[in-house]
Amino acid sequence: MTDLLQNTRRHFLSTMPGAMAGLGLTDLLSRELFSAPAGGPVAKAKRVLQIFCPGAASHIDLWEHKPELEKMSGNPLPGEEDFSSFQGKNGNLMKSPWPFKEAGQSGKMFSTNLPNMARHVDDMAFCHSMWSKSNTHGPGCIFMNTGFADEGFPSAGAWTSYALGSLTDDLPAYVAITDLRGEPPNGKANWSNGFLPAQHQAILMNAQKPIRNLKLPRNISPKEEGASRDLLRLLNEKHLEKNPGLSELQARMHAYELAAKMQLSAPEVSDLSSESSSTRKAYGMDDPNHLKAGYANNCVLARRLLERGVRFVNLYCASRASGVDGLLNWDAHKTLKGDYERHCPIFDQPTAALLSDLKQRGMLEDTLVLWSTEFGRMPTHQAGTVGRDHNPDAFTCWMMGAGVKGGVSYGATDPFGRRAEVNKTSVWDFYATVLHLLGIDHQKLSAYHNGIDRRLTDVHGHVINQILV
Amino acid sequence: MRIPFVQLPFIFLLLLASQVRAVDFEKQIQPVLEAKCLSCHNPNLRKGKLSLSTLSEIRDADEGLLISGNHRDSLLHQVTIPLEPGEKPEMPKKGEALTEAEAKLLAEWIDEGANWPEGIVLREASKADASWWAFQALRKFDAKDSIDGFIDEKLSEKGLSRNDPASARELIRRVTYDLHGLPPSPEEAKRFEESTQSDFEAAYTALINRLLASPRYGERWGRHWLDVVRFGESKGYERNVILDNIWPFRDYVIRSLNEDKPFDQLITEHLAGDVVGKGNPDIEVGTVFLVAGPYDDVGNKDAKAAAIIRANTLDGMITATGSAFMGLTVNCAKCHDHKFDPIEQKDYYRLRAAFEGVKQGERVMAKAEDRKAHAELIKPLNDEKGKLNKAIKELENAAAKRVAESPSILPEVTRSKMDRTGTTDEFPSVLAKAIRLTPYSNDSNPNANSVRIDEFEVWTDETESRNVALSSNGGTAEAQGRKVEDSAENAANAYGPVLVNDGEFGKRWISSGNPTLTIHFSKPEKINRVVYSSDRPAELPTLPKMVFVGEYKLEVSTDSENWKIVSESWNRPPLNKLFLRSRQLRFGASKEEKSKLASLKKELSTVEAKLGAIKPLPTVWAGNFVQPEKPTHLAVGGDPNKPADEVVPASFAKLPKEVPAYALTSKTPEAERRHELAKWICHPDNPLTLRVLANRVWHYHFGTGIVNTPSDFGYMGGKPSHPELLDFLASRLKKHSWKWKPLHREILLSKTYRQSADYRKEAASIDADSRLLWRVPPRRLSAEEIRDSILTIAGKLNLNAAGGPGFRLYKFTQDNVCTYFPLDHHGPETWRRAVYHQNPRAATMDLLTDFDCPDPALATPRRATTTTPLQALTLMNHSFTTEMAGFFAARLEQDAEDIAGRVNSAFQLAFGRPPTEHEREAAVKVVRDFGLPALTRTLLNSNELIYVN
Repeated sequence: MTDLLQNTRRHFLSTMPGAMAGLGLTDLLSRELFSAPAGGPVAKAKRVLQIFCPGAASHIDLWEHKPELEKMSGNPLPGEEDFSSFQGKNGNLMKSPWPFKEAGQSGKMFSTNLPNMARHVDDMAFCHSMWSKSNTHGPGCIFMNTGFADEGFPSAGAWTSYALGSLTDDLPAYVAITDLRGEPPNGKANWSNGFLPAQHQAILMNAQKPIRNLKLPRNISPKEEGASRDLLRLLNEKHLEKNPGLSELQARMHAYELAAKMQLSAPEVSDLSSESSSTRKAYGMDDPNHLKAGYANNCVLARRLLERGVRFVNLYCASRASGVDGLLNWDAHKTLKGDYERHCPIFDQPTAALLSDLKQRGMLEDTLVLWSTEFGRMPTHQAGTVGRDHNPDAFTCWMMGAGVKGGVSYGATDPFGRRAEVNKTSVWDFYATVLHLLGIDHQKLSAYHNGIDRRLTDVHGHVINQILV
Repeated sequence: MRIPFVQLPFIFLLLLASQVRAVDFEKQIQPVLEAKCLSCHNPNLRKGKLSLSTLSEIRDADEGLLISGNHRDSLLHQVTIPLEPGEKPEMPKKGEALTEAEAKLLAEWIDEGANWPEGIVLREASKADASWWAFQALRKFDAKDSIDGFIDEKLSEKGLSRNDPASARELIRRVTYDLHGLPPSPEEAKRFEESTQSDFEAAYTALINRLLASPRYGERWGRHWLDVVRFGESKGYERNVILDNIWPFRDYVIRSLNEDKPFDQLITEHLAGDVVGKGNPDIEVGTVFLVAGPYDDVGNKDAKAAAIIRANTLDGMITATGSAFMGLTVNCAKCHDHKFDPIEQKDYYRLRAAFEGVKQGERVMAKAEDRKAHAELIKPLNDEKGKLNKAIKELENAAAKRVAESPSILPEVTRSKMDRTGTTDEFPSVLAKAIRLTPYSNDSNPNANSVRIDEFEVWTDETESRNVALSSNGGTAEAQGRKVEDSAENAANAYGPVLVNDGEFGKRWISSGNPTLTIHFSKPEKINRVVYSSDRPAELPTLPKMVFVGEYKLEVSTDSENWKIVSESWNRPPLNKLFLRSRQLRFGASKEEKSKLASLKKELSTVEAKLGAIKPLPTVWAGNFVQPEKPTHLAVGGDPNKPADEVVPASFAKLPKEVPAYALTSKTPEAERRHELAKWICHPDNPLTLRVLANRVWHYHFGTGIVNTPSDFGYMGGKPSHPELLDFLASRLKKHSWKWKPLHREILLSKTYRQSADYRKEAASIDADSRLLWRVPPRRLSAEEIRDSILTIAGKLNLNAAGGPGFRLYKFTQDNVCTYFPLDHHGPETWRRAVYHQNPRAATMDLLTDFDCPDPALATPRRATTTTPLQALTLMNHSFTTEMAGFFAARLEQDAEDIAGRVNSAFQLAFGRPPTEHEREAAVKVVRDFGLPALTRTLLNSNELIYVN
């Protein structure tokens, strides 16, 4: 069945006159192909913003309150008194350095280290029972982004672009915004098209760096460019006349026109100078902490991209594992308190402002916001340190916006946060739900590669209905 | 089982009946259970804690499941029939229910006593079995069979016929790109065209022979093979460390293809080059194949996670072996029997057993005589080094002993120990414009001087004392810090000296090289105190991360030229015994001893320099081989932490039939395991390997294989468009002793290959993809061909720079993990054929990536051909295009005096044809208005340049 769909789609694209593979596909076409003919999911979300905090941001210090952990802090973890994890031996239980307090109408306990994010608690749907296949950052990140811990698979954004195409001709369907501090662990594999066609890879940009090769070379005047493009069109038309029946030739001519459009519209999106001073202040765009200001500018860029029709945006807050653990990202192995008191202020205000802004503009109606990280951290401290080691057995993700119930918490870890226990949720369940909200049946969205019809959700995945409106 | 007396006559009757019409378990029951029950109830999954694989498993699970002689009470019967007519029975949960006839048979079989012949183990049925087409013996052929015959047969079935022959121009462009990945020069094209006029056949044959004999052939076809074997030059995963010594494999592949090495030999070298070519680096290098895939080298202290990583590493070898040589997705049988192909889960672990001793890593690759020569060079120097070290030690011991006997030789301890959480140095008030800290050592090792400092304060001598080091007070810090280049932010701030005077304690400067730290004040200040630390908040003073200053001197200056010592560490307590000994040497040695020590150490460093100057034996990332200590086990559900039965290195259980099976033991030397596997894969009667290889050759010539999934000949793969032709080609390959060049020749000389690419609407309406080859399908050039062509046309391709370390179109940086930044400018050192590019994983490289050069994370048996706006942006705007457009233009200026002549020459170089009148006019106008580069840049972006007919 899937094969048939693929073939039909391919055939359709190659024969439809003027249809450019993957360029400007309408929603209608894709919905017909990937959703069930009747009774299938109804699209609630048109676009997705996925915020990613790489380095394994601690679930028990940011999102999931564990009273028992506070109470038992300093004692051995019952049942695992002496266990080894990624970096080796672990010590006793260690409570979060920051108290949690009630937030919002729902009264959910929220870390006091994220005071601004606490404002949004009534719109957020938490999955507290996530688990990962890997305890290593790189494979963990790509597992979270692609559903596979090995390299070479398409990311959720690439699948979305593949399924739904672009909402606009002027901008790419899928953009990855990296942090001022660099790329996340495993870099480009996180926004790769994998074995899907190249047009589904994310275009890389941030507020500090424009899209590559966007600018006209310095020594070429717009007039010369115009004359070159005219000549190019003429040559290509003549070549096409001699080679009818090769739709790729037309597609390539069209791609040059799209590139020209992108050259006009992309600089406008990246030009943040038109933002009001109240916006600048709300996000912290001019904060003296330049890492925070850098991320705040990226948050604004993300909103502008979504507003102008980009389908899927990856927004990173922090980067890779540096020579010193926890310096450039959320990987607080040795000094949790010091590390997170650097990272939380960078993340908190700009992200909260972005969510408020999306809400105010009515964009949360059809924009799905995801927050994710690659795995969680241990409730114990790492032996000889005041940090936490990697914990693949428990972490938190959350969603908000289009079609998502607010102020709910789905699943839970055990009393200490060591393992997902109640309603264990996989990355595949997470994406089954995301695709469902986009109006796609996750079991139908597939592509043949090296012997297997591959899916974002591998051979797993259940929609988490409990967090849907 | 006790049988109720009353049932006896009944059973007797049944037994009588069964002799007449007994249910045949193997023919009638087994297939039903395997097709409808085993996908869940197998020993691996055990859904509902039940496996129906053997009778004893069924009995162990629940006596009531199967009650011999009584189908009514048997659970197996009850759950598989509808409770009410028309309802879906409880089982199977997934898939189709038993048909009425099947349910009836099952009931009869139970009533007849549930006779389960001994030794039969049920398995989930795969969609294809051993009778699948790909596993059958090759068909036989006779002299009248030919490529064109098979093609024409299929065409005529559809009422189609081949196109007319291609023109000489079309043909030379096609075949030159096909065999070399480069355009023919206008002169070559002209010569060929002329020579065809007297004798086309002879001219064309000569052309093919010339192209096949050229080293450019191996560069083009070697690239194809590198795709198939997922060859990449970085390790991938989180750290993605670059591999600088894996390129010899790329050269080996190119060399092997140019030599026309038989592919059974090449495959054997890939799997066991160290066995068949022991001591010969040119052959041993073949084993790079085993370790050429991504490798997670982060290291994991969690034993279970480490076992999974090891399993994944071996999975890479198994997957590559199955797909590249046999066209099988063996990897699908890692967790369970293959769902589609007759590959048992055990088969997967049989392969794993063959690779169990392969470790990722580099090994010395040198001929025996080179190893010997190297050892001879090194030995005398090592002896010398030993002697010097001994003499130094003796002198040092004497000095230490002297101090131990009279401790007063050492400076008196008057101050406190160095303290990572805050150390104060007080000294008499002094006027200074700068202060300088020179660590002689850090506080962990008296012989190492790399230090970290989170804050360094300099206080003035006044009542309201000020910290004049602070940047907000005008102080500046100067030192060498650890370099990070992957973002502008990190370069300045990750570990730099700016961190010592920012007033914050969390981040620290990490010295790199010379550990001297200098603080300049905004103006001369009277100072008398410094306070510094590596871990002021005292979070983890014992961690190596906080390593601090050990022995040191502190100096001040007013002009940054003349320095005066204000403090040294000698009157602080030694940090430990090692530090004490180090001080004993410094203060205990006599003048003569000191000078003798100095000269010995000088000699030592000379010897070490000589040792360092000897070129080490070359190493290649070709893997290391270790005899496995433990037998291989099947892993339940693919989880190496759930071992099941022991598995030995052996051939697959069911295929291919033509090849004799083999089975080794868990004691078999690991080299033999790989060699036996190679022999099995390359057995002369293995139809699978021959078909897969022949299909690859066809695939690259025509853009689509006879099987359009070149690495998957199983159920999920494509079916052959021309099954007889595929067998014919495989037979020819076998006849040519597995050599590719004779096969190329046969294909290239066929009329099928020589027909034109012209489009015919009526033919296209029947066969739109021209899969049946009523024409040669036009194709877009690959990324490498596009780059190589642009360089060729610009006259800048350096064909002499063939082989050796690759060039890079990125800047490589490393700080624990590696980052690859695409370059904005490609210098002359990059003007080589793209096959020589050092291709890292998870990196993007403008033109190459945009035009579908794959990330070698996975094997790429078939390149994608996509069309994206990014391609347009790159090809229009990257400096590579503008620069090459400039060289192209400069070349044209040499070719002709006038604009028309230059335009003509431009079209010849780019398209292999003159411009039409219309094109000429338009091109001349652009040149007049904006110069030649405006034209050449346009041509480099044109469709005609990157499509071949």
